[in-house]
Amino acid sequence: MISKDFNPFEMAQAQFDKVAEMLSLDEGTREILRNALREYQFSIPVHMDDGTVKVFRGFRVQHNDARGPSKGGIRFHPQETVDTVRALAMWMTWKCAVVGIPLGGGKGGVVCDPHNLSMREQEQICRGWVRQMTKNVGPLNDVPAPDVMTSAQHMLWMLDEYEAINGAKYPGFITGKPVGMGGSLGRTEATGYGVIFTVREALKELRIKPSETTASVQGFGNVAQYAIKLYNQMGGKVIAVSCWDQTDQISYTFKKESGIDLDELLKITDRFGGIDRAKAKELNYEILDGDAWIEQDVDILIPAALENQVRGDNASKISSKVKIIAEGANGPTTPEADKIIQEKGIFMIPDFLANAGGVTCSYFEQVQSNMNYFWEKDEVLSKLDVKMTSAFLAVSDLARKKKLYMRDAAYIISISRVAQACKDRGWV
Amino acid sequence: MTQKEFPQFRREFFENGDAISVIGFGGIGGKASGLASIHTVIQNEIDKLKYPQIEVKIPKLTVIATDYFDSFMKRNDLWSFIENEFEDRRIIERFQNADLPVEILGDLRVLISKIHVPLAIRSSSSLEDQKDEPFAGIYATKMISNNQGDTDTRFQKLTEAIKFVYASTFLKPARDYLKATKHQVSEEEMAVIIQEVVGRRYTDSFYPAISGVARSYNHYAFGKWKPEDGVVNLALGLGKTIVDGELSWTYSPKYPRLSPPFASPQDLLKNTQLKYWAVNMEYHINYDPSKESEYLVMKDLEQAEYDGSIDYSASTFNSDSQRIVPGIGSDGPRIINFSYLLHLNEFRFNNLINEMISICETAVENPVEIEFAIDVDKSNKKLNFGFLQVRPMMVTEQTETLSNEELKSDSNVIASERVLGNAFIDNIKDVVFVKPDVFEAKYTPIIADEIDRINKVLSQNDIPYVLIGFGRWGSTDQWLGIPVDWGQIAGAKVIVEATRPGMDVELSQGSHFFHNLISFKVCYFSVHHSSDFKIDWKWLDEQEVINESKFVKHIKVSSPMKIIVDGKSRRGVIQR
Repeated sequence: MISKDFNPFEMAQAQFDKVAEMLSLDEGTREILRNALREYQFSIPVHMDDGTVKVFRGFRVQHNDARGPSKGGIRFHPQETVDTVRALAMWMTWKCAVVGIPLGGGKGGVVCDPHNLSMREQEQICRGWVRQMTKNVGPLNDVPAPDVMTSAQHMLWMLDEYEAINGAKYPGFITGKPVGMGGSLGRTEATGYGVIFTVREALKELRIKPSETTASVQGFGNVAQYAIKLYNQMGGKVIAVSCWDQTDQISYTFKKESGIDLDELLKITDRFGGIDRAKAKELNYEILDGDAWIEQDVDILIPAALENQVRGDNASKISSKVKIIAEGANGPTTPEADKIIQEKGIFMIPDFLANAGGVTCSYFEQVQSNMNYFWEKDEVLSKLDVKMTSAFLAVSDLARKKKLYMRDAAYIISISRVAQACKDRGWV
Repeated sequence: MTQKEFPQFRREFFENGDAISVIGFGGIGGKASGLASIHTVIQNEIDKLKYPQIEVKIPKLTVIATDYFDSFMKRNDLWSFIENEFEDRRIIERFQNADLPVEILGDLRVLISKIHVPLAIRSSSSLEDQKDEPFAGIYATKMISNNQGDTDTRFQKLTEAIKFVYASTFLKPARDYLKATKHQVSEEEMAVIIQEVVGRRYTDSFYPAISGVARSYNHYAFGKWKPEDGVVNLALGLGKTIVDGELSWTYSPKYPRLSPPFASPQDLLKNTQLKYWAVNMEYHINYDPSKESEYLVMKDLEQAEYDGSIDYSASTFNSDSQRIVPGIGSDGPRIINFSYLLHLNEFRFNNLINEMISICETAVENPVEIEFAIDVDKSNKKLNFGFLQVRPMMVTEQTETLSNEELKSDSNVIASERVLGNAFIDNIKDVVFVKPDVFEAKYTPIIADEIDRINKVLSQNDIPYVLIGFGRWGSTDQWLGIPVDWGQIAGAKVIVEATRPGMDVELSQGSHFFHNLISFKVCYFSVHHSSDFKIDWKWLDEQEVINESKFVKHIKVSSPMKIIVDGKSRRGVIQR
């Protein structure tokens, strides 16, 4: 999915530099925020099912913890690179800051492809990752969570290993746990719902009713599924979704002009969010190229797959009808594409604001786990909505007042908050 | 005002924003529509200069539109659940465990984080829109104290109350009522009003100094009063006192100084309001989200006097002079007769009531029933008048005439000079009556259940019947009558309330019930055991018994009875 000439960390730094300039940050502050505070790279040896031993490469980057313990997911992906993890850790710092939760940014990963690993092998990777990192993670310094191709099961294995090593129960060590095992109600829905909370607020600003809009979504994983669900519930119509086809190793777009039926598609979707093409065809879905999602005549685009999906080369294909882009994925838009989008006058809800619902709910899970007292779903989701909406309003107010692009406004709020924390601690 | 004209709830503007806002795009139900349409009328039509010491307004409210009720039902699979007609407790429990639609949660949290006064969570159903079918009191209104220190707890209480109101759509009283009115439960769509309670906090309770119900038409007119003069009930504390038919002060807005016809000051003392309802603001309250009155408390009049809230409503009985003196300046038993407002016409209160009725009648194009609550600001000598509800009132126009001969005819089974309604009925063969020989007040709850069972069978088969019992129908106090709710007797076409030694009480004037009686054209007979007219129990006992339980008998006569009710002279007969 990630092209070889695209370096997400360079993009994250470029975005930071632009805002650091706008904020006139001093050199020391720029230096500490441009790079991670700590980075860990290590090997995870695993006895495979076929009797061989395979060594997997693992990472953990703690970008900044001035505002609180680092927080960020652990990704299992064959094309994982340390630069991807660095960029994602930095974005986590900004994300936590923009929604005002007392956490810093971190990210981890393992270079592996879970499609080709048994559950036992994946468990060994999880336990191996914790054994390597146990001294440097924990409820008080760095709290991991699920991410691309990791799930509640992976988190539970990691928690179990951590507790075994440390000899006590630490439900607050990790988030994204199953409900009933320290997980929070509402966590599964949180990121997707959060995206739509921000879309709803953007629509209010544009004075458009959700029921009068259509959307096209890239990706059909957890974030996209719950975003589509809530968007449909609000009356909106999704006419296209794209997803990765594991067999063909390319993505396809599934289109239905009358609106896709989420439940119908979920029945023919595998656990990684891949839709069965043949069955979709039987259900009268048009099967288009993977990139077709971006060209649709819709009001809202929701890139909710991976990084680097809206680029200089395809941003010009965005329909003139599009009014809002809500970034469900992390870093889907390159700076070149941003320029085109800005020129088109599209309302951009940047990734670290739009998809902050996940980390916000993870924070709620952490709070509940540390107290060992769990909230009702209504309570979790209402708090999530309030946090997301308040964050959105703060960013859009600043953007309006200072005539800024939404991404820049969000960065200004986040970076100012983190820079201030570093100053207050006397680091810079 | 249509739903489209409602401003949407905006959390960033909520504190200083509109008095009425809506969450969602669906319908807002009858109650909210009524308030919305009258909102502008009140603001424009009432001349504020005429009432410089009264501020009239609709207490701030937010409506959750019916589309979220639908989402709530569908997403929690509740439509199939309610088909089973489970017991009320089970329905409430299941609704409490269901999730509210995620779309409204954030708005509710913001709303509750910004409001710190008690709230009334009220039903506003789509069927309430219909002029000829009153749904008063069929669905729940839950008040919450909303005084907990943290937003999380207040939010939880709010969501519990909303779910309770949703559940009330399917509880037994509502189901019975819908059946009686030939509606399907699935037709109903519920909007919910979240409204600030009018009043102020006094130590550990919160209540309005005055609450009231004013009606254009008085079907209980007696003495100098005329039906078209209207009628007003006033009470200390929450309006529940009036709505439940407990003791309140009744007067004609045309003759505000005229007391109800009590036989003597002692009689008045016996029938004055001695208890009142308030929102319980105590820190520890028994947790029971399945109870409508979870946050309500009944207090004694002494507490209100201690609170300083009866200065404008109470008078004192002077035993030396045997006179009732306005105010509480001297010692003696208190009488809640609102004499400052009515006898002395302080604030030009009654003028406002008359004007309000008239304005609302014009706006609704129908006789009306208005509910209000008033907070008295003693330091500024001001009344804060909260307008709570307006609904159309059914009034019978044509009259039947009944001759003196007919009243005294030997063929009468029942005759009365205290009758409500206006009708000629000749298609009723069924009578359900409480057996006089075994009746005792302590059995009234059992009697209510027995009647409920018979009513259900008769209603399901569309058989109208005459219902005869002792004491006040619908009394909440089992010692004063039979504690049925409307749904339990909704199939009756004629209701007879009788007294007897051992149940010699002032017969029912429950405003709630009464509204239903009139709207469904149910005739109502009052028969006092010492009056000239008696019930022919012997004849009733001789008829064919269809069903007999310990306290109640259901009989069928061979040919239909002739029932004549003369609305003008208020006399009526039931003839064999």
